[in-house]
Amino acid sequence: MAGGPRPMTRLAVTLLCLVVVLGLAAPWLAPHPYAQQIREFTTTAPQPGFPMGLDDLGRDRLSRLLYATRVSVLLAPAAATISILVALLLSALAATPSRTLRWSLSLGNSIFLSLPWIFLFIILRAKLPLNTDPVVSVTLTFALMGVAGWAVPSRAFTASILGMKDAGWLLQARAAGLKPWRIATSHAWPHLWALALAQFRILIPAYVLSEASLGLLGLGVADPMPSWGNLLQDLQHPDVVQANPWTLAPLGLLVFVMICLEVLAPSRKVAL
Amino acid sequence: MKPLLLLLPLVLSAAGPQQLRFAIQGDPRTFDVLMAAESNSETVRYLTAGVLVRVNRTTDVVQPELAESFLVKEAGRAITFKLRPGLQFSDGAPLTAADVERTLRRALDPQSGSPTGDTLRAGDAVPAITVAGPREITLRYKAPKPNIDRLFDSVGITPATQAKLPTSSGAFFVAEYQPGSFVLLRRNPHYFKRDPQGVQLPYLDSIRLDIQQNRDIELTRFERGELHLINKIDADGYANLSRSGTRHATSLGSSLDSEFLWFNQAPAKTLPDWKHTWFTSATFRHAISAAIRREDMARIVFKGHAHPAVGPISPANRFWVNASLKPLPTDAKASLSELTKEGFTLREGILRDKAGHPVEFSLITQAGNRPRERMASLVADDLKAIGVKVNVVTLDFGSMLDRIAKSLDYEAALLGFANVEADPSEEMNVWLSSGAQHAWWPAQKTPGTPWEARIDQLELNQAAEATRAARKKLVDEFQKIVRDQEPIIYLLNPDYLVAVAPSLKGVVPTVVPPQILWNAEWLRLE
Amino acid sequence: MISAGRESTFATRFALGLLTFLATVLLGGFAASALVRYSPGFDIDENAWNPHLSAVTVAARHARLETENGLPRFYLRYLSRAAHGDFGKSEAFNLPVSELLKNRVLVSASLLTGGTLGGLVLGGLLAWLAVWPRRVILEIPAAVASGLLLAVPPAVLALFFFFREWPLWLAVALALLPRVFGTARSLLGTWYASPALLAARARGLGSATLATRYVLAPAAPQLAALVGVAVVLAFGSLIPIEGLCDVPGLGQLALKGALARDLPLLSALGLIITALVAGVQWLGDLAR
Repeated sequence: MAGGPRPMTRLAVTLLCLVVVLGLAAPWLAPHPYAQQIREFTTTAPQPGFPMGLDDLGRDRLSRLLYATRVSVLLAPAAATISILVALLLSALAATPSRTLRWSLSLGNSIFLSLPWIFLFIILRAKLPLNTDPVVSVTLTFALMGVAGWAVPSRAFTASILGMKDAGWLLQARAAGLKPWRIATSHAWPHLWALALAQFRILIPAYVLSEASLGLLGLGVADPMPSWGNLLQDLQHPDVVQANPWTLAPLGLLVFVMICLEVLAPSRKVAL
Repeated sequence: MKPLLLLLPLVLSAAGPQQLRFAIQGDPRTFDVLMAAESNSETVRYLTAGVLVRVNRTTDVVQPELAESFLVKEAGRAITFKLRPGLQFSDGAPLTAADVERTLRRALDPQSGSPTGDTLRAGDAVPAITVAGPREITLRYKAPKPNIDRLFDSVGITPATQAKLPTSSGAFFVAEYQPGSFVLLRRNPHYFKRDPQGVQLPYLDSIRLDIQQNRDIELTRFERGELHLINKIDADGYANLSRSGTRHATSLGSSLDSEFLWFNQAPAKTLPDWKHTWFTSATFRHAISAAIRREDMARIVFKGHAHPAVGPISPANRFWVNASLKPLPTDAKASLSELTKEGFTLREGILRDKAGHPVEFSLITQAGNRPRERMASLVADDLKAIGVKVNVVTLDFGSMLDRIAKSLDYEAALLGFANVEADPSEEMNVWLSSGAQHAWWPAQKTPGTPWEARIDQLELNQAAEATRAARKKLVDEFQKIVRDQEPIIYLLNPDYLVAVAPSLKGVVPTVVPPQILWNAEWLRLE
Repeated sequence: MISAGRESTFATRFALGLLTFLATVLLGGFAASALVRYSPGFDIDENAWNPHLSAVTVAARHARLETENGLPRFYLRYLSRAAHGDFGKSEAFNLPVSELLKNRVLVSASLLTGGTLGGLVLGGLLAWLAVWPRRVILEIPAAVASGLLLAVPPAVLALFFFFREWPLWLAVALALLPRVFGTARSLLGTWYASPALLAARARGLGSATLATRYVLAPAAPQLAALVGVAVVLAFGSLIPIEGLCDVPGLGQLALKGALARDLPLLSALGLIITALVAGVQWLGDLAR
């Protein structure tokens, strides 16, 4: 899998860019506002003007899908960035000589990995002021996902930092009399940066999936703002899917994007 | 493979040819019939509780059950029951007046937290109970108690000890319970009732209540014949059943239930003064109410199986509804012109009040309740037409309760009531200004407005009148005030939709709960 | 996770691991209880909005619930009782928590066992196919199948199986498959290319011997860790899957408990989940 960009990688990047552009351009591409109710047509199969049909409140499915894409493609990477920043900050503790601090870090990490996160989303929804702008509320949902997810990349960072301590180049650099901050910026940082990029590419699909699961349970992005997760809620009603196969479109797009992301994912673990 | 297939009919027949099966949506919290407070426990209660009298759901006549006769005395202050001879609990133990007395005392104990106790008490007053022999018992109140006979319809007589699976005095008893999976009821072999041919009731050998939260699966299983009935089917399910051609679904017409929204009128710190001013203005409330297109709501959310609501009492409640009240006009233009009288102005699509504040409020409703989520969305869209911005927020029920019943940190809420009885006293706690469920401003020390004071009076007085006719007059006036003030904006009365397999005979469905199951001992499978 | 210096022996690592494990369970359990205790709607009775009940009755029903206001004190008392097997009484289900767990653990365990075993077997098999015979014709379809499964949210997969009335454990297994596949494939790949194996192959040993002695045996600790991770992953998917698909197991219990703010129930589940996750991490650290 090493080496320069393969054709598969290039294809995946191109397709992903296309999806991102579709999402970003939603306000211009979408034929209707995502919350507009066209009441004469509810739960209607595709028809002229509404290529994917309308949902049970008479909202254009195509427009909702485009806006949902916008939410997911913008916010999943943002959440991943947050996770990585928090993880980097906290993992720096691993470099300290204090054993207690290092132990606390690992303990905090384990605790975060085992908390029932679903609760936090219930609390977030319940505690937000009621007139909060939907955009703010969606952003906060993803931000919370990001903060909650720091523990996963942190394990990788901590391991890497601990590994550096025993690395030959560090001993040499020390022996050469380099200052610690110099070692950190010019030697340790590049290692971590590469690792952070790799983690970033692992976390994005993870957050896309998390949002989907949360949305299915009704704990993710709240209606009327569409997201891939809450559009998937239709899948809970087989009759709706049967009546209009386009209800599967959000799932299709999600799987498509996930596959592209997998192609780009770093390790062999999820290689295609 | 073959031997297995041959075994199959045997396995099926082992369940008994007369096993009724249907689904409930969650685990019953209790099998103690005196403690049932939520719908799953109540379903079990209806099937297992033996009652002294029963209100015939179709004729509305009070019929003797465990009591062979009863007598209302002293101008509605007292009632005497004469029990049938030889009554027994499902384990064969005799059922006497002493059991009835113990049941009543347990229910009346305020520490027990029994909902049955609430129906039996008159305010804080407890009736005197006298037992005269093993078959006669009298209850005596200080003042006339309305419906003194009818209220025993919901008092299930319980045995001396409350086991985890208690013995029962009704047609069935709880034989087995697998949490999260099913409740199995078996016929009470000692049930007193017989049919005209002398055959002991109930006809059914057992009832299996499958705990099945997913309504789509419930529907599929009904269509496949694995379930015999759906006691309350939603409009989507009804549409599916009708579409699939198996026309076993019936609409019983308007139910007693209602869906509504209301504004927070409590002087809450979290509510800005100007919003408090809007919400306490009847003109504002009427205008909002008039801008909501209830027909759309009925058509889109309930697939046509709902009717615009007029007030707190559903038109299905024929005796108590104030038939002279006509629905308020629903017209966005008229609603706007009313608002301009109060100084509101509509400019560039935004409605502003006298001080220039744009009219915007949040509307909370129950997450996961599809009809309510949709109704809230429709309300938000309707109000856009008069320049009002509504932010719909769906909350899980716990968080919602926290806001509407405790912190009072909300602006408007959309919910509904499922009424279990036709009597208007049932909603007393909603209408008394001191009530905990006085939605718009709960638990007031003294009524905040003259009209609330008048409602208090009417509610208390109607509960003290002995005759239904006298009560009706007061209840009519109460309905008029509610319509004139609209503290609660009534939206719809959904229809009651049920599905019954053709093999199930003896069903006499009504909109009064338990719709299909009220005469369970007469049901049989063919 | 913890570097105790170069001199660290297995014994010190074990002791440190045990300490971390215990601390995680205690603190994680506490954090879970705190989340429940301080979520909105915690101390309000669900009957607060039941017009059929009088205030007296609502109060009486509410008073019967666990009312320990100070959380640390509640938690300490809870722990001491839990040590004796008493996890309190669930408020939402009106049953002792231990009874609820007993009833439901079997349901979840069978889903979990079927799912984990299925996932390991299928994922392992696929990884084996991708690595061992060294044939592109097998490697590509294996990778494609795994990639496709990875792209579908587990809850959607489960819903699909649910409505088709196919066994749900298979859905869990398929959701796990790609995760197992990735790790197993890289592990197998590494060992496959090990010099020892190459030497043995050169000596002409049979492929079965090669596989067991030079691939499976050296990879065993990591494979054990993989089993642990698979269990945790499967456990994590229990909440959405059981919640959506009407499975009366622990995941559904957790979701219903969460919605009802059931403190005793969720404290117990918090302890169980943290113990499981921390245990698997400990195992993973030991295997390293």
